[in-house]
This record gives sequence, structure tokens and C-alpha cells, in this order.
Amino acid sequence: MQRKPLLFPDALKSVWAVLRKDALSELRSKYAFSTLAVFALTCLSAISMSIAGGDLTPLVQSVLLWVILFFSAMAGLGRVFVQEQDAGTLLMLKVYAPPQAVYFGKVIFNVLVLLCLSLLVLLLFIMFFGMAVTDWVVLIGALWLGSAGLSVVATMTAAMAAQVQGRSTLFTILTFPIILPEFLTAIETTRGILAGETVAASQFLFLGGYTLVALIVGSILFDYLWVE
Amino acid sequence: MARVLSRGDKLFGLIIGLWLAGATVAVFLLPPVVNLGYKARMLFFHIPMAWIAVVTFFMGAWWAFRYLRTRSLDRFYLSSLSNRIGLVFSFLATVSGIIYSKMTWYSEAPWTFWTWDVRQTTIFILLLIYTAYVVLGFSIENEETRATISSVYSLFSFATVPFLVFIIPRLYFSVHPDLTDNEGGLGSGLGFNMIIVLVIALVGITAFYVWMLRYGAAHRRSQIAELARIDAEEGSTRNGEESE
Repeated sequence: MQRKPLLFPDALKSVWAVLRKDALSELRSKYAFSTLAVFALTCLSAISMSIAGGDLTPLVQSVLLWVILFFSAMAGLGRVFVQEQDAGTLLMLKVYAPPQAVYFGKVIFNVLVLLCLSLLVLLLFIMFFGMAVTDWVVLIGALWLGSAGLSVVATMTAAMAAQVQGRSTLFTILTFPIILPEFLTAIETTRGILAGETVAASQFLFLGGYTLVALIVGSILFDYLWVE
Repeated sequence: MARVLSRGDKLFGLIIGLWLAGATVAVFLLPPVVNLGYKARMLFFHIPMAWIAVVTFFMGAWWAFRYLRTRSLDRFYLSSLSNRIGLVFSFLATVSGIIYSKMTWYSEAPWTFWTWDVRQTTIFILLLIYTAYVVLGFSIENEETRATISSVYSLFSFATVPFLVFIIPRLYFSVHPDLTDNEGGLGSGLGFNMIIVLVIALVGITAFYVWMLRYGAAHRRSQIAELARIDAEEGSTRNGEESE
């Protein structure tokens, strides 16, 4: 298959086409986002009710926030490939779209979904756990960098897990170890922000660098995964 | 199973066995180390195991890359075997690390075995990654699909290694000695005799890894030959029936 460098307008157009297709089908079915949101709400209320107004330290708040985000992502982000497999449209996509367009289209879609979800979870946390936010920009920056990394890795592992039996369990098993370094750093960064400490720039650099490396390595490997 | 190995490989295996036995005996003949005493013996097991884990994961990723380029299942077999050997050895390195840290750093606290020190965290992540790799292999029936997805996973997770090995250990404090630090690091505490024994152990364990790969490859070849023989026999009897 002839593959063009991504910077060509044609390639951008096909990325946009894949993204638009996924976004449209999401707007019609509202499946992915509603699943993620309700799942996050379930986890959160389960914890919040059991604690019932107890005081949580910044560390515990940050851990809960990221654990809920991680498992919500695992509940919903796999859908971008699973749905193609189930609907039988995978072959069409393989024939008509260049692999890089599919990769970037799906990654951008998942990133957007998780960025919205992380905002929702943040609002719920402020409401239910009385999380005190002083520096909104830094907090949302850390939240979004971590979520973007999580989506990038999850998109790649979703592409692998979609071809396997027992995929939803395997999806979580495959994603967790790869995201762990970023996950732990995101927890540490969020804890620092919530505690009102000045967070070192190196932590943001780590979050951004990890996301970028995952994006590039994923882009290189996706061709091998997609074209068999 | 019986005639898997050639005579040369059998001899090679015997030499490695004797070599490693000699290294083990040498470890117990060494005098006690300043500050550490006989506890330092654990290092001669811990360091080679950790070393082999690094080598196997590197080679596993390399052969995974070669598989994706050439699509030759032999390469994937080597990659998968190497990663599985690496999983076993990183598990052994973890266990020996737990024993050593219990004897030294955590000896005051009776119920402390594991503190999520940076090194413990990173080896734990490696164990999780390669366990997931093995589970992934189990859950795919088709051999080519399994080879492709496993190789991609192997390379994708290998991209985290620079973060685990070089970046994270520098961001956090660790009780584990830094391997690249000469002052107060590994090299300073050990005498000349100990370095020699350590090098002998490292060479022996690396040769053992090579031998395991050769054994695995030979085993696979004999299996393929056996399958081909059965196929040929079935084919010839079927042809015979048809001709009658």
C-alpha cells in the first residue's frame, strides 16, 4: 500500500475523515461517553457514600481521581476498535483508509473523549470530596497531560486487544503496565498541586515526554499491526 | 525430546553447568566483606539475574523487531522464548532482591519486606509487562496473529524502558546502589577477588542464556520435523488408499 507522509493535506484530510466518522457515530449513539461517564459516577459514588464526608488527604484524593479515570478509560476507550470489529466495518476501514489516518483519527477521538471525561470527574470530585482547587490552570494541565497519555496508550492496546478473545479483560491487563510510569507521575503531580506545593517542571516534562514517545512509537508500530 | 540436542550442545551445556557450579563454590569461599559480612554473597546471585533479565528483554525486543520486518516465525519464536526467560530471571532477581534488602536495609523493622522503592517499582512494572505479554500469547489461537500482536506489544512496552531505567531512578531517592556511581556505588565496596568471581558468574549465566536459546530452537526444529514426518506419513497412506 502506498503510504504518504502525514504532513500532506491529503493525509490530514483522511485523519479528519476517520475522526469525523467516529465523532458522528458517537454523537448518534452517545454510547462511549455515556458509558464512561456513568461508570465514573458509579465508582465515585461508591467511594463517596462509603466515606460519607470523611476528610481525605490530597494523596488519597489524587489516587482516587486517577484510579477512577483509569478504570473508566478501560470501560470505554476500547470501543473505537471493538465496534469496528463487531459491525464488520474493520475490513472496509483497512481497504479505504491509510493506517496512519486510522491511528491518528482514533487517537484524537479517544483523547478528546477522555479530556471531557476528566473535566467531568474533576467537577464531581470537587462536589463530593470537597477538593480545594487553588490553581486551576496547573491542575487541569496535569489532568489533561495524564489523560492524553492514557488515551494514546489505550488506543494502541485497544487495537491489539480487539483481535483477541476475552478482549475487555485483556485490554486492562495490557494497558496497565505500560501506562504505570505515567500514572504514578500523574498521581504524584496531582497530589502536589492539591497540597498547594509548587510542582517541579520536570514532572510535567515527564508526562508530556511519555505521551509523545507513546504517540510516536505507536504510530510506527501501528502499520505492522494494521496491515497483515 | 530424546535426541533434540547435538553432541556439541550437550558438551556446551555440561561445561556451563560445571562453570556455574564452580562460580557458586567460589562465592562461598570468598572472605566476608567490610560492613556487609557474608550477606554480600547474595549479590553474586542477584546481579547476574538482573543482568540476564536486561539482556533477554533487549534481545526479545530486537527479535520482535526482526520478526515484524521479515515475518519469519523463527524470529518470533526466539523473541518470545527470550522474553519468557527474562520473566523468570527478573522474578528471581526480585526474590533475591527482597531477601538481600530484608537482611540489610529493612533488618530493623520485622514486618517490612517491600517499600515501593524506585527499583522495586520499576522491576514490578517489568514483571507486569512481561506477564501481560505471556497472557496475551496464550489468548490468541492463530500463530501469525499471535506473533504480530505479541511482537508489537513487546516493542511498544520496550519504549517505556528508558523511562524506567534512566529517568525515574533519577527523580526519586532510592536505597538501591546506583550502578553507574563509582563513589559508594557497587565498584567501591568489592575487592579484586570479588570482581573476578562476579565476572565469572556473569559470563557463565550469559552462556547459560545462549544455551537455553539453542535448546529451545533445537526443540522447535525437532517438533516441526516430527509434524512434517506425520504429515508425510498420513499423505502417503491416503495416497495409497486412493490408488487401491
